[in-house]
Amino acid sequence: MSAPSSHSKFMAVTFKVNEQAAPAPVVPQFVEEKASLSLESVGCCICETDDAEPLGVGEDFEYNTSPETFLAMRCRQCSLVYLNPRPSLADLDCIYPENYHAFQFSEEHYGLVYKVRRRLESRRALSWCKGLDEDARILDVGCGDGFHLSLLREFGRPGWRLEGVDNSQRAVEMAARSNLLVHHGSVEHLDLPLAAYDLAFLIQTIEHVGDPPGILKAVLKLLKPGGRVVIVTDNTDSLDFKMFKGRHWGGYHFPRHWNLFNPKTIKALAEKVGFEVESLKTVVSPVNWVYSIRNTLMDMGAPRWMTNRFSLESTVSLSAFTAFDMLHQLAGKGALMRAILKRPV
Amino acid sequence: MSLNGKKPVAIIGGGLAGLTAAAQLRRHGAPFVLYEAGPKIAGLAMTFSDGDGFSYDFGAHFITNRLAAAIGIGSKCRTVRYYGETVFMDGRTYGYPFGLMRVPRFAFKGVVAKAAAFKKGNAPQSAAEWYRRNYGSAMADEVAIPLTEAWSGVAADKLSPAVGDSLPGSISRTIMLKLASRLTRRAVACGYSREMPETPNVWHVYPEGGLGLLCQRLASGLEEDIKLESPVEEILVEDGRVVAVRAKGFEQEVSAVVSTAPRHILAKLVKGTDALQPLSRFRYRPMVFVNMRFQGRGLLPDVVIWTPENKYPFFRLTETPLSMPWLAPEGKTLITVDIGCNVGDETWSMDEEQLGEFCLGHLEDMIPNARQKYLGCRVLRTPIAYPVFLNEYEADRQRFELSTGVEGLYSIGRNGEFSHIFMEDVYWRTMKRTRQLVASLDR
Ligand SMILES: Cc1cc2nc3c(=O)[nH]c(=O)nc-3n(C[C@H](O)[C@H](O)[C@H](O)COP(=O)(O)OP(=O)(O)OC[C@H]3O[C@@H](n4cnc5c(N)ncnc54)[C@H](O)[C@@H]3O)c2cc1C
Ligand SMILES: [Zn+2]
Repeated sequence: MSAPSSHSKFMAVTFKVNEQAAPAPVVPQFVEEKASLSLESVGCCICETDDAEPLGVGEDFEYNTSPETFLAMRCRQCSLVYLNPRPSLADLDCIYPENYHAFQFSEEHYGLVYKVRRRLESRRALSWCKGLDEDARILDVGCGDGFHLSLLREFGRPGWRLEGVDNSQRAVEMAARSNLLVHHGSVEHLDLPLAAYDLAFLIQTIEHVGDPPGILKAVLKLLKPGGRVVIVTDNTDSLDFKMFKGRHWGGYHFPRHWNLFNPKTIKALAEKVGFEVESLKTVVSPVNWVYSIRNTLMDMGAPRWMTNRFSLESTVSLSAFTAFDMLHQLAGKGALMRAILKRPV
Repeated sequence: MSLNGKKPVAIIGGGLAGLTAAAQLRRHGAPFVLYEAGPKIAGLAMTFSDGDGFSYDFGAHFITNRLAAAIGIGSKCRTVRYYGETVFMDGRTYGYPFGLMRVPRFAFKGVVAKAAAFKKGNAPQSAAEWYRRNYGSAMADEVAIPLTEAWSGVAADKLSPAVGDSLPGSISRTIMLKLASRLTRRAVACGYSREMPETPNVWHVYPEGGLGLLCQRLASGLEEDIKLESPVEEILVEDGRVVAVRAKGFEQEVSAVVSTAPRHILAKLVKGTDALQPLSRFRYRPMVFVNMRFQGRGLLPDVVIWTPENKYPFFRLTETPLSMPWLAPEGKTLITVDIGCNVGDETWSMDEEQLGEFCLGHLEDMIPNARQKYLGCRVLRTPIAYPVFLNEYEADRQRFELSTGVEGLYSIGRNGEFSHIFMEDVYWRTMKRTRQLVASLDR
């Protein structure tokens, strides 16, 4: 600091006024709370740049797994919405707690909603399987407790060979309890047979993964030429997103949804990986509406009886918002999106 | 740093801008060396502590939850519940903006001015004109112009109208944000971010242990490539392109230079071209911050008090514990007094005790029995608090806003850009510039 050049004088003035009296800079010290995450910075997985604008700031409203504040960014080039910075893989056990709904979507917990959803989802799932052979091989990527696989087992053809993949040990154990064949790990790293599957699902999975192109590339290789993958995910080209994107949007699901798509970005993703887009539609869902409102109420400190009206257990709000979202669906702006992609022959 | 035969980028300065650039270069795998003149990182974003429970920043600092989230320190921040500004004139207080709007002569002349400005097409020629045109003559002459002159040390008709353009937000937006703040009981940011929109979802937070945490987080993992007490003495330019920097007598070949140094200093560092000469005229306003400790809380009527009357040597007072109670021990408070000055003048040269006395003399108007409650003060000084937009170099300022004119030389950050920007702005703007730099390195 004593180089006698002109600018170092300026430096000295800034930092060495009142030599004797200069107060000590604070070295921040705090007690490590249990749940601080080790966040990592990332870029857009489609464009591979970080040219993005901040869109939403929020917290883990639903499970309160950490005191962290999260930021949803939107890629200026392709409009992908992604969490940045996001938890590291080491944080997964923390951000997916024991009572996470994917592990707990059971009849005891959800009653009527469970029954309705089973009925609805089995119809949807079967429609994707139309035209499959008697002995088709089907893979559900991110199968959770095996909800969709068990529907296919119950309502599908008896010859179908059903398999699931999930990287949560808990999910795999639960699926195994219902006698489903579930591989533990991630599709990119598991040693599954190549060009062997007729159909794959990624149902509300792609938004949870760190590397969507990587997952899809792996799925592409597992599919037979001409095989298909069905992706269902939240739609950012929707009114609920527009209204709540600044903070409370249910689809952010802070900090568990890392990449959020719209029809344009899902198409770009498919093409990047080498899939053909066979169909792309939006799907009715009340969930993001209900959660957006719930998050808003919770954030404003609304009483529990009121927030409880807006949950996956509340039949009334689910039905009301299903009806409401149907209107948006008519305009092609349903809350979810379903893409069917085909591995080129 | 693994260079793989690649020349590093030299970053000059370890404040928010330099460290943001460094972290982003690391993410892109681009090698860099960061030179910091001082013995510590953080620059203007440093927090100081007395060891007796008081802590304070360079001036008063308010950051946003969005910046905290972007840097990944959200879990270490506390929500600020309240923030407010008030103007003190003729012994009375006027809250901003509602209180001022209620004063008929301000409101009326403001509307007249707006209407007139609408008709008149030609652009204002000075900051003074800009204020009269946008706020009306009463508000301009009694509030805006005296304040501007106090912080800049220059008559408002010698300042560029760009001073006004750089003021944040429209009045309707201000009102919306202030109402949202009351409703949510969060200090919704208003006038603290220009680069990204301010919304009710963006409010003030404060890191535990102080602002320094922002820079500390950015620097973590980069320690090996940060050189402290290493002022860059020269930036060598050949054929209009940067080729090397010299620090501590050692010359380092570089692929590019990212400077966060003030522009007039940058002009002196660059050797081998005259391109930056016009920057040596650019001026920054030096400032003295007197952090006064008092018995009691709520001695000021609001967090920030603007004092436009020129009988006061200061233009702004901030009682930070009204927003951030943890900055002072219970039952005590801290008032930061901002005084514009010139390096070496009477104010600049006063010692701590004298400055404390000097301020007390003026504070007694506002705080009854100030002297009895006074516990002492700590003084911070900086020669580069505010860039001064003189009309005389306005054309140069605009020209250099876009680029330094030297290939591979980037001038970023608050002082590097010569712009009245805040920390969140510094962050997003630096991200953008570094992205451009990375792209040019790849080419
Ligand atoms: C009084 C005041 C109040 C403010 N209040 C707020 C606020 O409330 N909220 C907000 O968001 N922002 C506020 N700001 C703005 C904020 O402090 C700055 O925008 C931000 O800290 C600037 O960071 P920087 O990295 O650009 O510059 P600096 O922090 O100035 O960092 C520059 C660094 O470069 C080093 N350096 C310079 N020359 C050389 C050289 N030749 N070689 C090596 N190193 C060198 C310096 O030592 C310094 O560490 C305030 C600013 C001031 C002055
Ligand atoms: Zn993109």
